[in-house]
Amino acid sequence: MFIFGFYKLFFSQILKQNLIILLVTFFSIAAAAQKIKFPVVQIADSLSTNSNAVVRLNHQEISISSQRKMTITTNRVVTVYNKNGLSAVGAVTGYDKSRSLNAIEAVVYDAFGNEIKKIRKKDFIDESAVSGGTLFSDSRVVYLNYTPISYPFTVNFTCEIQTSNTALIPSWMPITDYFVSIEKSTLNITYPNDLGFKKKEFNLDNFKVKKITDTSTQLTYTVEGVVAQKPEELSPDFIKIYPRVMMSLESFNLEGVDGTAKNWKEYGQWFSEKILNGTCDLSDETIIKVKSLVGAEKDPIKKAKLVYEYLQNKSRYISVQVGIGGFKPMLASDVDRLSYGDCKALSNYTRALLNAVGVPAYYTELYGDSDKIDIESDFFSVQGNHVILAIPNQKEYVFLECTSQDNPFGFQANFTDDRNVVVIKPEGGEIVRTKNYDDNTNSQFSKGNYSISENGDLVGRISIVSEGTQYQKKYQLEKLPPTEKERNYKSYWSNINNLIINSTSFFNDKEKISFTENVQISAVNYGAVTGNKILFAVNAFNQYSGNLKKSRNRRHPFEIERGFIDNDEIALTLPAGFTIEAMPDNIELSNKFGIYRVEITKKDGLNLVYKRKLLLKKGIYPKEDFEDFRLFIEKVRKNDNSKILVTKI
Amino acid sequence: MKNKIALIIVFLLLNTVVFSQKKYELGKVTIEELKEKAHPIDTSAVAAVLFQVGRTYFEYSELNGFGMVTEIDTKIKIYKKEGYGNASHAYSYFTGGSPSETVTFSKAITYNLVDGKIQKTKLKSEGEFTENRSKNYFRKKITLPDVKVGSILEYKVVIRSPYFSTLPEWYFQKEIPVNYSEFLACIPEYYVYNVRNKGYVPITSSVESKNRSITLTDKTRATGTSTEPTKFDYDRIDYIETQTKFVAENVPAIKDEVFVNNIDNYTSSVIHELSGKRMPQSSFENFASDWEGVVRKIYIAENFGPELEKTGYFEKDIDIILSGLASPEDKIGAIFNFVKSRMNWNNNNSYYCDEGVRRAYIDKTGNVAEINLMLVSMLRYAGIDANPILLSTRSNGITVYPSRTAFNYVIAGVEFNNSIYLLDATHKNTLPNILPFNALNWIGRVIRKDGTSTEVDLMPKSNSKDVINMMATIEKDGTMTGKVRENYFDYNAYSYRERYNSINKESYIEKLEKKYPGIEIGDYEVLNKTDLSKPVVENYSFTHNNAIEVIGDKMYFSPVFFLAETKNIFTQEKREYPVDFIFPNQDKYNISFTIPEGYAIETIPQSKSVAMIDGICNFTYLVSNTENKFQIVYTLDINEAIISPEYYDVLKNFFKEIVDKHSEKIVLKKI
Repeated sequence: MFIFGFYKLFFSQILKQNLIILLVTFFSIAAAAQKIKFPVVQIADSLSTNSNAVVRLNHQEISISSQRKMTITTNRVVTVYNKNGLSAVGAVTGYDKSRSLNAIEAVVYDAFGNEIKKIRKKDFIDESAVSGGTLFSDSRVVYLNYTPISYPFTVNFTCEIQTSNTALIPSWMPITDYFVSIEKSTLNITYPNDLGFKKKEFNLDNFKVKKITDTSTQLTYTVEGVVAQKPEELSPDFIKIYPRVMMSLESFNLEGVDGTAKNWKEYGQWFSEKILNGTCDLSDETIIKVKSLVGAEKDPIKKAKLVYEYLQNKSRYISVQVGIGGFKPMLASDVDRLSYGDCKALSNYTRALLNAVGVPAYYTELYGDSDKIDIESDFFSVQGNHVILAIPNQKEYVFLECTSQDNPFGFQANFTDDRNVVVIKPEGGEIVRTKNYDDNTNSQFSKGNYSISENGDLVGRISIVSEGTQYQKKYQLEKLPPTEKERNYKSYWSNINNLIINSTSFFNDKEKISFTENVQISAVNYGAVTGNKILFAVNAFNQYSGNLKKSRNRRHPFEIERGFIDNDEIALTLPAGFTIEAMPDNIELSNKFGIYRVEITKKDGLNLVYKRKLLLKKGIYPKEDFEDFRLFIEKVRKNDNSKILVTKI
Repeated sequence: MKNKIALIIVFLLLNTVVFSQKKYELGKVTIEELKEKAHPIDTSAVAAVLFQVGRTYFEYSELNGFGMVTEIDTKIKIYKKEGYGNASHAYSYFTGGSPSETVTFSKAITYNLVDGKIQKTKLKSEGEFTENRSKNYFRKKITLPDVKVGSILEYKVVIRSPYFSTLPEWYFQKEIPVNYSEFLACIPEYYVYNVRNKGYVPITSSVESKNRSITLTDKTRATGTSTEPTKFDYDRIDYIETQTKFVAENVPAIKDEVFVNNIDNYTSSVIHELSGKRMPQSSFENFASDWEGVVRKIYIAENFGPELEKTGYFEKDIDIILSGLASPEDKIGAIFNFVKSRMNWNNNNSYYCDEGVRRAYIDKTGNVAEINLMLVSMLRYAGIDANPILLSTRSNGITVYPSRTAFNYVIAGVEFNNSIYLLDATHKNTLPNILPFNALNWIGRVIRKDGTSTEVDLMPKSNSKDVINMMATIEKDGTMTGKVRENYFDYNAYSYRERYNSINKESYIEKLEKKYPGIEIGDYEVLNKTDLSKPVVENYSFTHNNAIEVIGDKMYFSPVFFLAETKNIFTQEKREYPVDFIFPNQDKYNISFTIPEGYAIETIPQSKSVAMIDGICNFTYLVSNTENKFQIVYTLDINEAIISPEYYDVLKNFFKEIVDKHSEKIVLKKI
């Protein structure tokens, strides 16, 4: 299959003429293959512009021959112009016990198209793919380690993987890198007509992707001449802009377990029965313990809170992924004994504990990320990367992040919020949207004061209350060691030079989900003293530092994924014997992106009150609005730094 | 730059002391220990090592001879959830040799206090994992069960290895506090090790001698028709084992800082490196005891010295390159450029060749040794006095004591006109005396043809300059327009080329615009990106709408505009380790600008110059004007690349003065 896919591309003519001849003359054809060249001069100017690399050809051939057999062949030819283009070579693949690597090879050509090196399977680097937060996994990664001897050069990479995991048909995404253009990228997938093959297409028209074949047994796409893409600030997520095809089978196999599901409802039924069933076992001892924990409490949510707190004190996150363990949670009794597990194990364990005290709770799959990525509600396939727990609360659900030891009950901001997830119930899967933290929920209220001495020194104190998404960014502050706390504030108030943090205290109200910081600071020379005048920025405590680049030719809309609101009320005291010579005007800006309002009130000759409000609104805005938004941000930034001038009388 | 070593290492006296009789054994967990809520010294600690006791000794087997065994007992206390990471442990081993290295965990137990009683949970096989990292490289991992805030964790690990050219490096200091750390090195009289330690933590040691013996079995097989049984002979060999015990107590957690070279240089540890063998009935074989010995050993190794002798593979090519060149300068330049353009570094550091220079030359790819030893032999072939210079990269740490592992890199040195030129052909943008940053690490050792060696200072002798010329006009509405020409010299040019040469122009301009908020850049050009003989030059025009504050009928601005240093790069209150600027540097701004008609000066900053003690840094800030034209010349010299922490307060204050000066405003008044 590997050889077939490979030749099919370059010798399609020959194939059409006579397949038998091809088979008979296999070795002579193989010899001819050595002469294939990819001279750099053949690359169109439009594709070499702004490119670190050009994908000359990327052909993905997926052949599903049965519910338990899928072969994926990749042929990727990439010309690299400079070191920043090296990652586009993409001569890398993963394998494990259920995905075998049948063949892998790379041939390197110089700029003229002469073959200069051939790298065979044994010369690829083969390493374990354990990374980051994972303690152990049986995944492996095989990659090409090639030192370029001159630029440009071209790598022709081929590899073939065979797997029984037909539940995991890789999505086709022709564009995956910035500053990389594409001559041609194709997908050809074949499948038996009785397995219920389905697909969902995204953004194909934006890039003129052509569908060549779409039958009951074959699907083919091709795209040609895609110029190099540039990253854009505040761009919506990659998958929301670029072409993508998701594919799945109604009759599939997942790590050795056969399954059938036409939709999320049926997936939920299958998953409950075949994967989750029997994983909720707990010892009588544990059941008694958890029952005594909730005592006489009747309210299911209050019970859940007690159980969640118990979980958070008992367990820790350890990720071990082997075989079906990548999809099936560890037994609840094992988690109980070991007190650790991954997202699946800890969610399922919590489910078991809740069930023991009569609180229904459901295993929930989703894509966890700071970017909001949905599970496609109308298209079933394995899409998640994370598991949380859903607890019915009247007509809604409360979602629990079971991997965290300090998350407030039901708090989801910045990782699992505002997205479609699949709640798995025995009667079937259900698509549910998680909690949206709206603009006004994501608040920060700062109240404080500062005074300036006659040599420009500042002494002040402030109390900052953060909620919603802003809570998420702050609440772990109290746990930092003293040096890290200091580093945090020196970075937050980087506008104040010579900053000294005199004291800090914190209050984490997990019930209200509100985090309070009380900080006392001082700084010499905050105000610039020139003769008998002092000049300083009025807004000492909350300067917006956002800065957007002017976009010369924006292609895509921009997105504020989460809005927020900041309110500040700061009293300031001038040094005795000084008078205000000039101070910033009050300002109010209000537009579709948000509101910015600053108001300075004189209480008396030496005392002022500075009030500021900044609201940014969540939304996806058309690219034409980007310049207006940039100017809005620039005005905010500039105004946040506007100065007051005081003179000695 | 005198006494560099003293900058990083406080030499430690190994005192002979009598240790207290407190026992550090596994399995002796007390309720008091379990009840402890916070570390008594560092209350912010998330966990602590209560003790870690290690012992490395030699074990004799008739099949394999001496092998090294290291046993480590560790007891850890968890104080906070953030310390849970300390419940997982991993040790790597190599299986490519015979016998294989092995790692065995045992006695791994979690202790908790449950209802006032001590509860033990043992690690089972489900919590132990063997990871095959890559061919012949494995890693054994454990994660302890039932870990909670307050838990005490214990485990023992035994590492067996047939390789004992170094003993495992023993770290007294870790990311969490260590209450007691002990390492016992038990070495048979046949082996001699160099002992060195690094870091700032006081370590005490004591030495004892013990009698040991090996029993060898000789088996005499019954022969012929004899009915006699097989006979065994036993030989007993007595020898002396030297036991050296190293102890550190109450070791604080190691903390990273900004502008630090390599934190491992300052992390307290003890290192043993085999320096000689003294086998029975043979004379002492010395590996490394002084620098001369270390270097000679490297020089005679087959992957080093003999590789330097080979010339056949390049002679033809070099003859062509040298034809018509007479002066040594031209020859050096031609050969250096030839190697740089032909050879491509495969990212491997070593002073030993891997595939050999000949193979590397054909493949046009090689490791550091292949590329730079090739360069040395080509230069020698051309009659130039060239020699290899061994050094240790920044990531490998700083070379302080004589040992083979103190080096991991080699460059070429040319002695010419009474000075030494340093050449490294692994990077395309290097020049004579411009080395890649990773190689710019204090001192190296040149090895001459006769095998003798001398220390070489690798650090640049002059400040690398970065010169900005700006001409600007201030408009009545407070916008500013002008032109900038920036010249990057020496290491600044090297750094620019390495970072930006393959970034496209549009992205680079965006980067610049992001760096100077409010600026809009036009007519951008960069010169000499690839002509290494000249400085990199950037030219652009700009408009800036955020550099001038217009308040009422006055204008306020810093006369260094958007180039002003507005933030002190040093904010930390206390400094533990030296500040590392990598290379000595000079920033110079020549700014001239015109103020709008109808405005006059109300105040103007005074000229100023500040010199830090011992000539480490200085800046000058000169202001002059004629009517509506102003001229600012600002120069900052950082004359030392590495600055001792004793100077930290002075240094921080020096940078504060720069920031203060840069924030002083010119005030213009409408007339």
